[in-house]
Amino acid sequence: MNKKFDRYASFVYLLIGIGFVWQSTTISASSYGSNVGPNIFPLGLGSLLILLSIRLFYEVLKAKDHGGEKEKLDYKRFLMIFAAAVLYAFFFEDIGYILGTFLFLLFSFQVLERGKWLKSLLIASLFSVGVYVLFVVILEGSMPGFPSWLSLS
Amino acid sequence: METLNYLAHGFATALQWHNLLFAFVGVLIGTAVGVLPGIGPMSGVALLIPITASMTGGLGPEEAATSSIILLAGVYYGAMYGGSTTSILLNTPGESSSVVTTLDGYQMARQGRAGAALAIAAIGSFVAGLFALIALVVLAQPLSTVAIKFGPADYFSLMLLGLAAVSGLAGKSMTKALIMTVLGLLLATIGMDTVSGVARFTYDIPVLYSGLEFLTVAVGLFALGEVFKTILEKDYSSGKIAKIGRVLPTKQDLKDSAAPIARGSLLGFFIGILPGAGATLASFFSYIMEKKMSKRPETFGKGNIAGVAAPESANNAASGGAMIPLLTLGIPGSGTTAILMGALIMYNVQPGPLLFDEHPQVAWGLIASMFIGNLMLLILNMPLVKVFAKVIQTPAKYLIPIIVAISIFGVYAVQAQIFDLMLLLGCGIAGYFLVRNDYPLAPLVLGLVLGPMIENNMRRALTTSNGDFMIFLQKPMSAVFLLIAALWIIVPLLMKKRGKQVIVNEEG
Repeated sequence: MNKKFDRYASFVYLLIGIGFVWQSTTISASSYGSNVGPNIFPLGLGSLLILLSIRLFYEVLKAKDHGGEKEKLDYKRFLMIFAAAVLYAFFFEDIGYILGTFLFLLFSFQVLERGKWLKSLLIASLFSVGVYVLFVVILEGSMPGFPSWLSLS
Repeated sequence: METLNYLAHGFATALQWHNLLFAFVGVLIGTAVGVLPGIGPMSGVALLIPITASMTGGLGPEEAATSSIILLAGVYYGAMYGGSTTSILLNTPGESSSVVTTLDGYQMARQGRAGAALAIAAIGSFVAGLFALIALVVLAQPLSTVAIKFGPADYFSLMLLGLAAVSGLAGKSMTKALIMTVLGLLLATIGMDTVSGVARFTYDIPVLYSGLEFLTVAVGLFALGEVFKTILEKDYSSGKIAKIGRVLPTKQDLKDSAAPIARGSLLGFFIGILPGAGATLASFFSYIMEKKMSKRPETFGKGNIAGVAAPESANNAASGGAMIPLLTLGIPGSGTTAILMGALIMYNVQPGPLLFDEHPQVAWGLIASMFIGNLMLLILNMPLVKVFAKVIQTPAKYLIPIIVAISIFGVYAVQAQIFDLMLLLGCGIAGYFLVRNDYPLAPLVLGLVLGPMIENNMRRALTTSNGDFMIFLQKPMSAVFLLIAALWIIVPLLMKKRGKQVIVNEEG
């Protein structure tokens, strides 16, 4: 399993290296008065990454596969929380900090452990309101509090 | 005498009431970070950067930088104190630097001497912290006067040495560590080139012009990566903690641990100065050394108090020692110091030899605050250790979503861009998979922080030599640094070839 990841990873690094080398040739090379342009550094590093990725691929080929035991990973819970986090982040400005954080926390608490609604509700609301009050009201930071269409703030 | 004068000014800064508060909050959070197994010092510091940035919003730029770095450094060395608590009470280290403390610490707890073990860990950390600070005060000025004579070529090579040292010691495979370093350096090139003003790899996407924000990447890789790991591996059940009992150590305990504390402090400090070797290595080495020096080595692993005192002193001394290359040379030797450096750069304070001239308030204020912070930690960790033991019982199922929420809040508070939130989540995923497959993250962050400086110095050196790369070998200092850097990579490779075990630093 480890080996498989490394094999794919070495390809990805190779592609990244080639990409950087290729793209750095398109950077306008000449800056005034110096023959050391902005392209040299990424060009060199990209080439280095290509070499290293080949070396990694070679190492993986030689290595023996240890992957006997397979741990069971809890993908279901992870994906649910991750999806919630993506939605939370994506609509952050639209639904505002307090509502978004409250919903995200409530959902995640329930994903990790069903039940205990009262405790989940309490912690989620205390945290989201508490941080907002601390940051916006006391420290005078700026953060979208409530959705603008609610016209509360 | 001059140094003492500066230090007095530093204390004047550190004793301002808001800086006292910042130091206190820093060490308090640091201890909590150390106690909580889910968050390490790196993610703790990274998570707090945006929060300190908003807390210091009302201060002037210089004061803001001072107060923030006081708090962030407090988290860093505070975590070294807190890490021992879980090792002793739960047999699970809160930090990688406290792994060896479990060997004797947990045994002591099982014998009902948990209080003594905790107290010795706190006292040892305090003594070591003071020792490292005094050494820092003595060495800071002379070192920066040497470093100020460095030209661009010397600097380039010195930074290369720093990167080589961290890559050479990090993780199981050096190829992987080197890949992460190069990747970090490459990511740092994205955005506007500071020398020529040419946009690189931006593809007309406006958010990319300022480059990938260091803070976003660091919080994503470390904090979210760890959180995702905890969720995926269902690692959020809490264990049983041992009873603490009487906190004060007996006279015999103190007598038995005085020498190990002294040796641990000395060893830890010197290991801490070396780039690449951090607190984890320091604690391992000092444990091994104590065992070798002991008259009764068989008692180690069965609750010998020296096995707690030495490594706990060593890891704290190492964290103090690691501040020396960071402050005087501008070269972070570990992941956490790289993050501290990133925080300083965010405030337009460039660590390095000029720091003590240009920003004496920041430099000496920080040093003085570390004296105060260590004292606070001693007080926090002796009578209040029972309170912190309660922190361990914070159910992780509530903590995990809250860490995600804090990450998102913090990054948005500083960047105010949805793009950064998406980058944050992406980095979290990347962080999880990279760590899981033994790709160390510290070299990547180091590359990201040092990237722009390495490039600038390289190009300045090459401009003076008309593009001749031999300049790096012609300057004597630079040649020496490059030689050491090469040795740092080659020697472990040769040792591995001979089948010897190479000790690696697993500090994330």
